[in-house]
Amino acid sequence: MEVDSGNGVVERKQSIYKSLDESFEIQKEMYRGQQYSQIYFARLHLMRTLLYSLIPTWKPHLPVCTVLGLEQGKECIIVGTLFKHMKLKPTILDEYSKERSASPLVKPHNFMHSDDYLILEDESGRVKLRGTILVPSVYVTGLVVALHGKETGAGDFMVEDILEAGLPPQIDRPLNPNGDDKYVVFVSGLSVGSSSANPLQFQLFVDHITGHLGDEKEQGIAAKIVQVVIAGNSVEFPRGLFNGQNLGSKEQSKLSEPTKELDILLTQIAAGIPLDIMPGTSDPANFALPQQPLHKCLFPGSAAYNTFRSCTNPHSFELDNVRFLGTSGQNIDNLAIYSDASSRIDFLERTLKWRHMAPTSPNTLGCYPFTDRDPFFVEACPHVYFIGNQDKYVTSLIQGSDNQVVRLISIPRFAETGTAVVMNLKNLECHALSFGTQFD
Amino acid sequence: MASSSSDMKGFFREKKKSAKPNKSGKPIKSAKPKHSASCGSDVVQPPALLSHGSPDLQDEEYDEEEMILRQFDMNMAYGPCLGMSRLGRWERANALGLHPPQQVQNLLMGSKMNNSECLWDGRV
Repeated sequence: MEVDSGNGVVERKQSIYKSLDESFEIQKEMYRGQQYSQIYFARLHLMRTLLYSLIPTWKPHLPVCTVLGLEQGKECIIVGTLFKHMKLKPTILDEYSKERSASPLVKPHNFMHSDDYLILEDESGRVKLRGTILVPSVYVTGLVVALHGKETGAGDFMVEDILEAGLPPQIDRPLNPNGDDKYVVFVSGLSVGSSSANPLQFQLFVDHITGHLGDEKEQGIAAKIVQVVIAGNSVEFPRGLFNGQNLGSKEQSKLSEPTKELDILLTQIAAGIPLDIMPGTSDPANFALPQQPLHKCLFPGSAAYNTFRSCTNPHSFELDNVRFLGTSGQNIDNLAIYSDASSRIDFLERTLKWRHMAPTSPNTLGCYPFTDRDPFFVEACPHVYFIGNQDKYVTSLIQGSDNQVVRLISIPRFAETGTAVVMNLKNLECHALSFGTQFD
Repeated sequence: MASSSSDMKGFFREKKKSAKPNKSGKPIKSAKPKHSASCGSDVVQPPALLSHGSPDLQDEEYDEEEMILRQFDMNMAYGPCLGMSRLGRWERANALGLHPPQQVQNLLMGSKMNNSECLWDGRV
């Protein structure tokens, strides 16, 4: 991990790493034919217990009742899972519908409609929600919330106020204003093997962070990078191979080329810096969240290094007691299809406030049918919350009601933008690292 | 299921001399819907209601232990029972702080394996 700069040896900084991915691993789970009702029950119960503890500080004078216990005109609080009824949401039954209208084969980017309405559901029953406080475009199916309101004559529930779980408690990160700068580099969407990815850009990136480029000052900055996180979609297989036909040996070798290319590049990184790689939508990992770590056999070169870590998606870890949490983008992309926000970073903030990373799972986002827990429930507030494979680099710092401070990062796709994100562990400051290969 | 009563001829079908006729006491293991006891069926002790798939005319444990366990299965407070073993569901309820009855755990840990699955196991 040393770079000889001529005058002396520049040493790379190091950080203490602790992986918190245990709750996302499914090796110990056994599938016994359970359905998704189990994970919904676990989620409802977990969050309802939490919300019940928050209600006394919110509106202590109101009684809490179940959906079946609602009385007309009586103001009360109910807690349950939201279900958003969406007109445009694609259902498998459309294939069998008698009226084969010229429905577009091109899927709309967003399935929202002005007629969407919300329903609250708990074990006893469900009730339709009315009122202007609850805007259906913000909420999605699968959230657990507490609502204050009363039942109307029509049997609906008129909502007057809503309580979300809010940011979870956060352990203060160590404040060390005079300490060293240590950087964490985030990159995603490398898409090695795709026709649009420029291999020179990624090679430039690798050379820069390993310290093979630039003068002493550049190398000094590169030496402060303590961790690289690759947030999904590192490979892209040529789509033409997946047409259902048996692959000949020539096509089979074409299939393994992207991962071989990626391994060569990752070996260069892993030789010098600790590297975490997460699976994404296009990676050879399982489809349903939580995606399991990419197998070490895919990376014969890089897996030999102990700095190489294959991680789950979502991924959670601690670096020098700074807590990180992030995904490769599937959860936020799914939220963007079923709800609306002015910017992608708003979705990130909402998932933290709802204390649940992927509320739309298992409804519209593939998910493993857990029976006794919901691993997407955010128990401890991270200091850095990132998401990969987005359109552009956006970052913001949010404050919670309990002095929590979270840095939100949206990592752009490297193959399209040539941009990676660098974050300083000392003060959570972020900046972009762009690589261009135009010779103008 | 409205035609189930008219299917009695199909149930007591007249066979050739070489084959034995189907006695009404013996349960039929195949899960044909017309043998269910949902409505209008005259079938005595249809298999769908038996959690062990065997006649329990002489099974005394059905009354006490099994009833308690079935009440535990049906109790909505502990969540859905399908797809989970009874012990797994009890342990989940315990872990979530729902205080499931200790008696149920004693029955599940102490006695034979034939009551480890929920009421609807293999039926739905």
